[in-house]
Amino acid sequence: MFQPLDPLLHSELRLAIMSLLISADEAEFPYIKEQTGATAGNLSVQVDKLSAAGYIEVEKTFKGKRPCTICRVTDDGRKAFEAYVKALSSYLKVK
Amino acid sequence: MEENSNLTAERSLEIIRESIERSQRTITRNSALPMIWWGVCVVIFSFIIAYLWNNHGGPAWNALWAVMWLVGYVGNWMIDKKNETVPTTFVGKSISYVWTTFGIFCGGIGFMFCFIGNGILPLELIMPKVYAFGCITSVISLCFGMGTTITGLIIRNRIIQVCGLIAGLGGFFCALHFPGHEQLYVMAAVAVIGLVVPGVLIQLQNQK
Repeated sequence: MFQPLDPLLHSELRLAIMSLLISADEAEFPYIKEQTGATAGNLSVQVDKLSAAGYIEVEKTFKGKRPCTICRVTDDGRKAFEAYVKALSSYLKVK
Repeated sequence: MEENSNLTAERSLEIIRESIERSQRTITRNSALPMIWWGVCVVIFSFIIAYLWNNHGGPAWNALWAVMWLVGYVGNWMIDKKNETVPTTFVGKSISYVWTTFGIFCGGIGFMFCFIGNGILPLELIMPKVYAFGCITSVISLCFGMGTTITGLIIRNRIIQVCGLIAGLGGFFCALHFPGHEQLYVMAAVAVIGLVVPGVLIQLQNQK
């Protein structure tokens, strides 16, 4: 039986963001942008969506004089990611 | 990568795998220069200390290793600043813990021998005199090899694993044959095999 996939994570870019953050304590916005190859605007929109859902927290700070945006996964985000991977495996088993 | 919600299960898994592997590759890439740098530091200081030990006053010159840690740390900090920013990951933290533990253990052993060599602590506190300066390079080589091998296992790099094994085991047994200043040449060889060679090979792989 197929388990429902979290629609928030079932998107190429948002899934890539979560996958990057899941193995890191935290990551800066430019690093995520470089690793995903997304545009800053698009990435910002997707980060906001994940943040609004409580899956990640976004900290806006400064590195010297430059603004710096740091993203990290929350406990809810970690649980949601685990549930997503578990649900994903039900699709792979059937095939 | 653009917004796309029509993902297959396979594509989703591929994205997860790619993302995790990509950050691991960045860590491997960034480890090349620090390995070469620390290896070169050990080689240079080994030769300097061996020369001074042999010609100007004996094993007390081993205290210069403290200067090497300082020089090495400053250089490492400069390399880190130059490298691309990498987030703190479990892999990165594990490697850092391995080498911090190595530093603490070898530093601790070094300081004990330094205090004993300078008469601050009695030699009998740790071992009979005949072994006092014969074993330290063996032990440090072993720790060195273990650190390199574990790093290779964490980042799943076969070259580093093999170099660590050769450096650790080879250095351990070779150093036992050289109780005097010659053991520092073994230390230099251990640094070349355990740090410089894997560092250069990773660097060459990065440039391909």
